[in-house]
Amino acid sequence: MVRLRLAPLRAAVVLAVGFVLLRVVYRVVFGGASGVGTVLVELPRLRLDGPFSHVTMFGPIAVVGLGNAALSALPVAAVIVFFGLLNAVVNVQALFARGASRGPLRAISRSLVIAWATFPALLTAVRRVRVARALRGERSIASLLVPVFEQTIERALALAASMESRGFAATRVVTGVCEAPIVLRDAALSFGAGPDQTNWHLDELTVTLVPGTLTVIVGATGSGKTSLLHSMSGLFQHFYDGVQHGRIDIAGVDRASTPPRDTAGFVGLVGQNVRLGFAAETVHDEIGFALAVRNVAPPIVHARVLEVAARLQIEHLVDRPIERLSAGEASLVAIAAALVNHPILLLVDEPLANLDAAARERVVAVLGQLAHEAGVCVVIVEHNAREFSRVADAWLQIQGSRLHEISPEEIQTTPIAEIAPPTPIPSVAAEPLASIRQLSVRHRTELAVDEVSFQVQAGELVALCGSNGAGKSSLLHAIALPTGADIVVVAGRDVHSLKQRTRRQAVALVPENFDDLLFAITVAEECRRADRTLVGADTAATFAHLLGFDSTADAAPLLQRHPRDLSAGERLCLVMALQLAARPALLLVDEPTRGLDHRARALVSSALLTAAGQASAVIFATHDDDFARGLATRTLRMRAGRLETPIEVLS
Amino acid sequence: MTVVLSPRRSIRWTSFILGGGSLLAAAAFAWPFFVSAVPADAQVAVPIVAFALIPALIVALALTVDREIYTAKTVALLGVLSAVGAAVRIAGAGVGGVEAVFVLLILAGRVYGARFGFLLGLLTIAVSSLLWGGFGPWTPFQMFACGWVGAGAGLLRRRPKAYSSNERPRSATAQRWGARGEIALLAGYGVISSYLFGLLMNLWFWPFAVGAGTDISYTASADPGQNLASFALYSLITSTLTWDTVRAITTVVGIALVGPAVLAALRRARLSPAR
Repeated sequence: MVRLRLAPLRAAVVLAVGFVLLRVVYRVVFGGASGVGTVLVELPRLRLDGPFSHVTMFGPIAVVGLGNAALSALPVAAVIVFFGLLNAVVNVQALFARGASRGPLRAISRSLVIAWATFPALLTAVRRVRVARALRGERSIASLLVPVFEQTIERALALAASMESRGFAATRVVTGVCEAPIVLRDAALSFGAGPDQTNWHLDELTVTLVPGTLTVIVGATGSGKTSLLHSMSGLFQHFYDGVQHGRIDIAGVDRASTPPRDTAGFVGLVGQNVRLGFAAETVHDEIGFALAVRNVAPPIVHARVLEVAARLQIEHLVDRPIERLSAGEASLVAIAAALVNHPILLLVDEPLANLDAAARERVVAVLGQLAHEAGVCVVIVEHNAREFSRVADAWLQIQGSRLHEISPEEIQTTPIAEIAPPTPIPSVAAEPLASIRQLSVRHRTELAVDEVSFQVQAGELVALCGSNGAGKSSLLHAIALPTGADIVVVAGRDVHSLKQRTRRQAVALVPENFDDLLFAITVAEECRRADRTLVGADTAATFAHLLGFDSTADAAPLLQRHPRDLSAGERLCLVMALQLAARPALLLVDEPTRGLDHRARALVSSALLTAAGQASAVIFATHDDDFARGLATRTLRMRAGRLETPIEVLS
Repeated sequence: MTVVLSPRRSIRWTSFILGGGSLLAAAAFAWPFFVSAVPADAQVAVPIVAFALIPALIVALALTVDREIYTAKTVALLGVLSAVGAAVRIAGAGVGGVEAVFVLLILAGRVYGARFGFLLGLLTIAVSSLLWGGFGPWTPFQMFACGWVGAGAGLLRRRPKAYSSNERPRSATAQRWGARGEIALLAGYGVISSYLFGLLMNLWFWPFAVGAGTDISYTASADPGQNLASFALYSLITSTLTWDTVRAITTVVGIALVGPAVLAALRRARLSPAR
């Protein structure tokens, strides 16, 4: 409650001094600085007329007059300094944190807590988008503010969904029965007949799931796996404006008429990007959130948090600030937060998407234990389904508008588009297209990239492989925006010395968070923007070409859409097209396959091949060896910031 | 997802409270003009009453609407957007007081309505004051003035429905002109609200800023016309020609540059279903 912070006091003193000076100025200008005694300056009087006839400006300025003016300002100045002192000592923020879970101002207090917790994310977003717009060669205010704003809205919605599913603002207590966690009887899902909705729908859903089982739902991106999951969590019907027909009963409760907040006591949900959904400032408060919003007494919340943390073996994280968690730890905390009410049903959306091998194994084991030891009914949506084969009891696959039960052998039957791998380039070419010379990147004290040197020949499609944290992204960013002279030389020119526009003709990067580059409201406008300063560029045509269309006209429906309404694969193609607009000699693409299913990966790999035809060479970073193997002419492997000895894959 | 939890009648009731509270607050802002109307021995108490009334009204209105906005989506959007607003406000203080926060207040008020705009104005000031420690007697006045800016944007004429099921979709050109018209409307409102905001903030502080003894001082005994003229002159040289003009320009430029994209983003995350 009480602490000392000097900045507010300092600001208040400056303000108070300014206030006194300002009052003196007013008196001098509007004839109030006269007085007995020494007259400093005798300014001519200036009488105004019209409605201002009572005002006379200037006049004599006396020492006493100035002193009186300053003295008369002192009471107000003292008030300013007094409040500066209060601000320096009282910690008002703590008051709001206290009011967020109870009391008559809990909505507004909770908003303030969220605002407070949003600041670090906001700063990160600004930093990232500034890099992104340098990569795109944009200087406009919109190219900075719009992507930051979109990210903020995305966070707000993820946060709202996670709060809703954990019982925030629940109005009544609904109890569920353990025997029948999920019963779907001839249910159908759609988004109604809205003007801008696709005609996606799922029909004839008849599913019964029993306690103590783990079910995995698979299907292509866009097939509606997440919507199906949220028809069970209730977010589909009550948050995303979906339309449900037929009957869906969750633990005996009618889903169509019961919002998620009322079933939080027995339905646990772990969302897709768990970090976006964190609503508290510490791991402890995050895990206990679902209890705190139900006004459970703090000692009981504390005990339950410790109990759940012990069950997942994350006791050591409990006192950690929420933003200081690794991706794997964040997933476990989100699972713990969903378990704190001892749910009958646990719904998990793509838990493995951003995790490395060790963390994946841990999460799979934890979910398996919950189903088979604790008797929870676990439902998981995942397209990396193979990893669940050890623990899964049933598999459901979405095909078209129907849901089928499949056997474990049938998983991964989606055909991967056959792509003829390009022929390797003989490494005897005289002049390399690009040379990277002793490139190092340092993040604070940590050496992310350690003296990496290599060369790229024209026509190559190079894969840069390695696990998370090996330094791949840092290396690509440093090639695109080198910090020193003569480190990156492309087509005989030192990239560091090039101006923004010419630099993009040498090298362009599609970053991992490629959405950061988008800021227009239609795809067509985005393309026009990219063409603006470039002679002969036709980004819309490039975009259509990357998507495999024969002409721009075929892509016309996509061009009228909002860029963020495209699928992830299509968005990546759009950003690649934007970055190809300046015809770079070298195109860099960071993690193009992250979170994409087989069909989207096929799209991206053919787009990479097309791009290699447009740029002279392409380097892409990936932690997915299978993807790299089928596509690259050469593979570079990175570990702990260093390049391992190059291995010729296709020789 | 529905925002309205309570029945319709109670919404009207709180609109009435919000409107009435705002009127009272406006009166408190204009306290210098009321002083001559009260008996001489009570005149000293007028500024004190005004200063107590504004924070009390804020608490009362906050208590009134708190229950109504108690839904996950509203609370999350309000929290996140007020963080953006506070960041914009603090970043603006770093570049010579270029106040761009009105852009956000106006756009969000337009999309999510007067009640949301009002609360966003309130919370933006609260969060930014928390952050750099600028709480003081002036904070409640700033909160109200910013709240009105957001609420006013929510009360502007609704645009004609871009698309409804029983009529043909409007042509792309018509839609584009409709969107431009909306931006122009909001930019115009931005100019007006920038100057009005400056006037309001000058109004309650004027007697303190100038003190007694100048020709533009507030004089309790003088007739209202003279006080009004004095205030107009004070306001003109204090902020209308400088800060307010800068704010108006920033707001117009901001709305023109990011308005369409921000409106689209806010509408894509709309609070309540359109159908």
